[in-house]
Amino acid sequence: MAEVTFESVKLGDTLPPVQRKVDQETFWRFAVGSLDYNPVHSNPDWVKEAKVFGIPSTVGHGAMTMSLLTTVVSNWAFPVGGWIKSLDSKFVQPVLPGDTLTFGGTVTEIHPGRGKNKNYVVVELYGDNQKGEKIAVGRAEVTIP
Amino acid sequence: MVDWLKELRKYMETDKQRAMDPDFMKEADSYTAWDEVEIGKEFPVDITFEVKADDLISYAKAALDDNPIFTDEEAAQKSPFGGLIAHPCFVVPISFWCAQSGHGTWVRTPGARNPGQRLEWYEPFRPGDIISIKRKSHDKYIKRGKYYLSDQIDFIDQHGTLKARRWVTLILPKTREDIRKFMKGERGVEV
Repeated sequence: MAEVTFESVKLGDTLPPVQRKVDQETFWRFAVGSLDYNPVHSNPDWVKEAKVFGIPSTVGHGAMTMSLLTTVVSNWAFPVGGWIKSLDSKFVQPVLPGDTLTFGGTVTEIHPGRGKNKNYVVVELYGDNQKGEKIAVGRAEVTIP
Repeated sequence: MVDWLKELRKYMETDKQRAMDPDFMKEADSYTAWDEVEIGKEFPVDITFEVKADDLISYAKAALDDNPIFTDEEAAQKSPFGGLIAHPCFVVPISFWCAQSGHGTWVRTPGARNPGQRLEWYEPFRPGDIISIKRKSHDKYIKRGKYYLSDQIDFIDQHGTLKARRWVTLILPKTREDIRKFMKGERGVEV
């Protein structure tokens, strides 16, 4: 893949997608890595009765979904010294153990005229599960040298 | 019955991960409840986060990101960043580490749901950084029968440089009584 530069980016460019399969082990590992020990992610017995999301299942961390949305951007921009300035993310529906998730993004805005390393693009991000259902959306501002 | 604490301990590999109690239920009765929060207040946070390479690597791998910029010190030195940097969402473990007491404990509430987040990044986190946070209650609102609470958190290094800003928003049980329902294993929200 050719290295991306600010001059090479075009409206409508799609970023290489990221796909991950998740399960309860993933949720436990992320709980430890993130220090987010909310029992809705970690305690399958408690959640059967508490049904925080209205279902008797643990769910993946929103922060894990957010991290994978960010991965789409960092895989694309960071190797060339790009940087993510901001991310607005929305979690549309829960991620369940056993889901296969696909994350991707499209360049929807180009912001030039600020100088090298300050010019940036906007990437609209998404995350889908294996049923093609939207699990997350996001909007990132990304500088590209 | 699943021994979920044992399952979590399998993955603990850093000093901070081993030091922090993973049972958020234990002190849940002391967490700030939604209806108790006054908006616009700043809260002192005494706990700091000293960033070590293994903290960064552990988070990236847990987040299923094997980018060598975040996970391989030798490879990261050859990158445009000149060394290992944090995955951008490393603000999450910093936030939880610094929320072990005081106002910010509401992020640990059993029954909390994450609707989405806003983050801004200014400089990467690197090994050796000592991060302190400034926390301010930003907003609370009711939408479609759910109770939202949002804090603004600034992440500042030992030189006073603002590295990142996060607006952490969660949907919470409304009252302390609702939290207690979740502590008993009952559903403490209606929507």
